[in-house]
Amino acid sequence: MTQSRIDATQTRPPLWRNVTFLKWATQIGVLVGLVVLAWILISTALRNLEAQGLSLDWDFLTDPVGIRLGEGIFTQPASGLEAFATAIVNMLRVTASGIIAATILGVLVGISRLSSNWLLSRSATAFVETIRNIPLLIQIVFWFFLMTLFFPTLEVDASGPAPGWLIVSRKGVSIPWLFPTEVFWQWFVFVAGGAWAARRVYRRRIELLEETGRETHPGRWALGTFVLIAGLGWFAHPIAGALGWLFALVAAVIAAIPDFAFQLLFAAVSIWLGARWIRRFLDSRRTPAGLARLTDDDYFRMGLAGVLGLAGAAVFVAIPQITSLITDVAHFVFAFLDQKFDFLRTGVPLRLGRPEVVVPGRFPQIGDTGMTMTPNFFGLWVGVTLYTAAFIAEIVRGGILAVPKGQTEAGMALGLKRSQVLRMIILPQAFRIILPPMGNQYLNLAKNTSLGIAIAYAELVQVGQTLFNQTGDTIQVFLIWMAFYLTVSLVLSSIVNWYNRRVKLVER
Amino acid sequence: MTVYVAPELKPPEPPPEARQLGAWVWLRKNLFNTWYNGVLTVVLAVGIVWGARGAFAFLLSPDRLWGVIPPNATNYAVDVYPRPELTRIWVTLAVVMVLVGLSSATWRPTGKTSWGTILAVVRATGVAAFAVGLLVPPTFVGRNPLLVGGAVLVLLGAVGIRAAGPAAREERLPMLGVLAGVLVLALVVIWLLPVAKTTKVPWTIEVLVLAAAHLVGRPLVRAVGEKTLKVVLSFLWVLSLPVIYLHLERKPVIPWEVVVSWLPWVLPVLVVGYLAILYASRAGRERAAALNALLVVAALAVWFVPSPMVVRLLMLVLVGFTLAAPTFASSGNGRRNFMVGWSGATFFLVYFVTLAVAETGLETQGDFLGGLNLTFLLALGGMLLSFPIGIMMALGRTSTMPIFRLLSTGYIEIVRGVPLITVLFFADKVVPRFLPPGLDFDGVVKAIIAIALFSGAYLAENVRGGLQSIPKGQYEAARALGMTTAQMTMLITLPQALRAVIPAIVGQVISLFKDTSLVAIIGLADFFRVARDIVPNQPASLGSQIENLVMAAVVYWIFTFSFSRASLRLERKLGVGTR
Amino acid sequence: MADNGKRDIIICEDVKKWFGDFQALRGISTRVYEQEVVVIIGPSGSGKSTWIRCINRLEVHQEGRIIVDGIELTSDVRNIEQIRSEVGMVFQQFNLFPHLTVMQNITLAQTWVRKRTKAEAEEKAMALLERVGIPEQAHKFPGQLSGGQQQRVAIARSLAMDPKIMLFDEPTSALDPEMIKEVLDVMKELAQSGMTMLVVTHEMGFAREVADRVIFMDQGQIVEEGTPEHFFTNPQHDRTKLFLSQIL
Ligand SMILES: Nc1ncnc2c1ncn2[C@@H]1O[C@H](COP(=O)(O)OP(=O)(O)OP(=O)(O)O)[C@@H](O)[C@H]1O
Ligand SMILES: [Mg+2]
Repeated sequence: MTQSRIDATQTRPPLWRNVTFLKWATQIGVLVGLVVLAWILISTALRNLEAQGLSLDWDFLTDPVGIRLGEGIFTQPASGLEAFATAIVNMLRVTASGIIAATILGVLVGISRLSSNWLLSRSATAFVETIRNIPLLIQIVFWFFLMTLFFPTLEVDASGPAPGWLIVSRKGVSIPWLFPTEVFWQWFVFVAGGAWAARRVYRRRIELLEETGRETHPGRWALGTFVLIAGLGWFAHPIAGALGWLFALVAAVIAAIPDFAFQLLFAAVSIWLGARWIRRFLDSRRTPAGLARLTDDDYFRMGLAGVLGLAGAAVFVAIPQITSLITDVAHFVFAFLDQKFDFLRTGVPLRLGRPEVVVPGRFPQIGDTGMTMTPNFFGLWVGVTLYTAAFIAEIVRGGILAVPKGQTEAGMALGLKRSQVLRMIILPQAFRIILPPMGNQYLNLAKNTSLGIAIAYAELVQVGQTLFNQTGDTIQVFLIWMAFYLTVSLVLSSIVNWYNRRVKLVER
Repeated sequence: MTVYVAPELKPPEPPPEARQLGAWVWLRKNLFNTWYNGVLTVVLAVGIVWGARGAFAFLLSPDRLWGVIPPNATNYAVDVYPRPELTRIWVTLAVVMVLVGLSSATWRPTGKTSWGTILAVVRATGVAAFAVGLLVPPTFVGRNPLLVGGAVLVLLGAVGIRAAGPAAREERLPMLGVLAGVLVLALVVIWLLPVAKTTKVPWTIEVLVLAAAHLVGRPLVRAVGEKTLKVVLSFLWVLSLPVIYLHLERKPVIPWEVVVSWLPWVLPVLVVGYLAILYASRAGRERAAALNALLVVAALAVWFVPSPMVVRLLMLVLVGFTLAAPTFASSGNGRRNFMVGWSGATFFLVYFVTLAVAETGLETQGDFLGGLNLTFLLALGGMLLSFPIGIMMALGRTSTMPIFRLLSTGYIEIVRGVPLITVLFFADKVVPRFLPPGLDFDGVVKAIIAIALFSGAYLAENVRGGLQSIPKGQYEAARALGMTTAQMTMLITLPQALRAVIPAIVGQVISLFKDTSLVAIIGLADFFRVARDIVPNQPASLGSQIENLVMAAVVYWIFTFSFSRASLRLERKLGVGTR
Repeated sequence: MADNGKRDIIICEDVKKWFGDFQALRGISTRVYEQEVVVIIGPSGSGKSTWIRCINRLEVHQEGRIIVDGIELTSDVRNIEQIRSEVGMVFQQFNLFPHLTVMQNITLAQTWVRKRTKAEAEEKAMALLERVGIPEQAHKFPGQLSGGQQQRVAIARSLAMDPKIMLFDEPTSALDPEMIKEVLDVMKELAQSGMTMLVVTHEMGFAREVADRVIFMDQGQIVEEGTPEHFFTNPQHDRTKLFLSQIL
């Protein structure tokens, strides 16, 4: 009793009853516990690895590997790095084509579900309910088997409906395609420049239209600009080869600066980031009357930020491998670009390839002259496309339904046509609602490509598994997986967030 | 200006459509209301007929090996589970049935339907069957039964609707009764037609167990009280998981002498537990805290003195109880619940540890759980375990403590950023690397934990959405009543948050069920893997991949579709999403 | 021809409308002449909204005839679009397009339906915003305006189409009292300028001041109609008396 009366007069409670202290003590206690646990686990892992004759290094990325991949840029990779590069390109190929196809199909189905035509809306519903309720894995395997077991067999002479132009067989579907040649990147500089210029021209023409009220054909002008510059580049691309010197210079500079300089630089950046956080935090607490009184909580936060910054710096200094990894990657990128550009290197940037059947051994194969869709790609692509489309359809439907009915009515009352109301009033509003969940679906699609492993499509997980089955480096492979997928997630979700902020409705 | 006054109010008239022919109006309105819709209808109809004929011709061609499916029924259900021990599976199923029956009596799903709806479903089924009959290849043996059966159903439905009259059509029937009717119908089919020949007796028993549990549950609810029963049942559901798993995994040869040797340890701890809970709930906060500090030290200390594992675990559980006691057990009622809970916890812990240390009498090698049985075990386990993870992470992410927030946010975002298959590989291939040699978990357990960790991150986001949807006033009101943070969370905000996101949670559970198929990739013999690899590679059924896949797809579809329909009903009932 | 020699611009003959089995309009017959201001009152659910929404075919009547400015409302698409561009409508919930600025809200239909150039449309929009008293808000988004300002934008948006008839469905019931006045002032000014107006409202002051005629509806039919004086001094039907006693 006396105790509590004394407390009432104290300005600060004793430490063991100070809420802030208790809060931070618990948190730091848990954090320390986790670090200790991690330390125990890691040291156990190191012991285990040693006992099995393995180590936690990254040699498998550069050492020769004896694996074969189903398809991609390196089907017989010389190193783990090449294998992963192949896997990443394959994965991105399915993801990109899947996102495009799923969006188109999903939007169509979603709008169909709202059609006043009973048959159409019911068919769309049946599609969605069938696809959504069957595990994706089954669907992928189903499409794969459908092609490998039930498509026509590949024959040398009668190869498909349009010989020389289209091959449809159990071993894949092949179509003519334009392939980049070694001067493609030089031309690409012009294509990108053309796109940028076209954008500028488009804006300018729109401004002109708004100033004068005359029809200025912004679309045609933009297209014309793009075609002109890209067409010019088709012949003038050897000039862009001069960029090669620039890339070579950057690569040389990176190679010339000693690693410890970079180490110091990164350490400084880490400390600077911590300091910047603290400064910004203090700024945010600054009122016109001066610095607001800081709570214990605030001091703990700033302390944490400082410690983290210092810890980052310490890591950079103590483990030089991290720095050399970063510089190596940067050097590799620029050296690679240097190879792709050469002043006055001539040639045609794109070349037409037509599908053909070859007989390397006893059995006919599809040659690599056309663009071939293997059964593995087919199964995975069709599977993820249909699956994602079903979810996108639901999102689109929900988004359209979420636009209040009054909006349609107001549009109709103004005399707009049904299609105009849909295009100018409903869709722009529905789009804002649809966008975030749509981004989530794209992310899911990207992650779902990992199911390609079930039909041996050479994507990241499948290649990783093949690699660690050979080398036993499961931990490293797992870290690579995580790094890659998290990067993809981060990139996709920042695009969505950025766009979302841009189109957000202005509210009071 | 003239003034008009109506002489008297006109009575309402029936709508003009009622005077016309129903079907004709319907066609005009829904298929041919504009010229382009008419064209669309014709094109679509031709396309659907063409596509369906093609699909049926493919699926029902004489080349298909549908004959391999029925003989493998047991493989699909349980894979290589030792056949003499199959009763174990029926028993675990009965455990689930008891819980389902009791839960249905306690939560009383109140959906209603009407004769009109049922008859309309019958009629629609008939139309669909008849249409399929028209589309299948003429050589297919089932064609005539489909046509005749379809016609009969259409007739039944139509005549029924006519005969019933509007009053009977509108009559509300409890959904539960309809479900019971469907179950009885299924039993009749099992007994009369040559399906499930060897399992019709066990199936009948299971249904009887379900019905009995439901019937017992009703008076039980009245006797015990709904709220208590709900809590108890929730705990029993969680506990059912290890019970089922252990019962399936092992035929215990219990080392009684070991168990008895624990008694001198367990009994004192039990009594100390009672006293500690009593003290912690009665004494003030500070004394309770001192007691807790003491107990934590003791709980850690027992790990360093030679003592049975069961006691070490028991001490940890006790610390959990006493930590919660000052906040939740200060009323007489709460104290009683805590005592009962502590007794139950002690009992189950001893029971589980006993089973865990017992030798198994099952003659098997490796993972022998498989088939649909494993699929459901994974789904149930993943679901039950993902709840605590999800709730904890959601609370962490919304908490005011930055380090906890950082940790939970990191966990949620990392797990949501990677595909499930990498998490499964992590559990299967990476985790053993971090454990002392010789210590490794069973593949099934690892898969359950991986699925739960994965699903938990998604669940956390759902729960977080619910927590954020709670109006600020609720928090302020709870604070104003003098509740502590823990009380506010457990009693006010969390229950509301969970209720608000039930539909999202059900959606998550459905996708979890589909996702269990991924364990096939890390080598577990779940239903999908049996259908994909195991059966088609048997000599007798070589080359039946497509048949097996289609069968598996249909089975998964039936379960997921009925789940999602049920959740839709729930959503409507809760009025979520309507404003 | 109406008895005062003006042309009939809206003719309703025995208009009936059902929602499923429920009959919302049980035979509405009346005529509105050019430049007339008609106020419609009646209890909730009496079919006021349904009726005026039938006039620009936001709802489709099933029996009877509606003729607007000499064009009969049938399912002919061309008629419907023509009538909609001649008839403006103002809603209780404003229904401004939240993703477009005030200016874009007003110019959208002018450019797409009336095929005006952007400059013409903007000039017209500015003139109308002046008229409703909020020229300075032209480049804000609807979400940034008050309710009264939003409703005035909605009126300007309708007027921009140069409608012959304006329909108002409880334009002030979602507004605070001080905002009601700003909207009513705009409507009064509009009535004095000779616009034909059908107004569903419970603002009796407005009815008394500007209405040429008041129509009382109940149970989907017209129970009593007459001048405002008639209604406020000498209502005849029991239903009317009861209703007026409740709201006055
Ligand atoms: N879309 C609809 N579907 C079914 N019933 C409707 C629909 N719209 C209106 N109704 C019904 O028609 C009747 C008339 O509705 P209406 O909106 O015309 O009334 P109101 O006189 O405008 O009432 P209030 O003053 O509340 O706006 C009401 O009973 C309403 O429930
Ligand atoms: Mg109304």
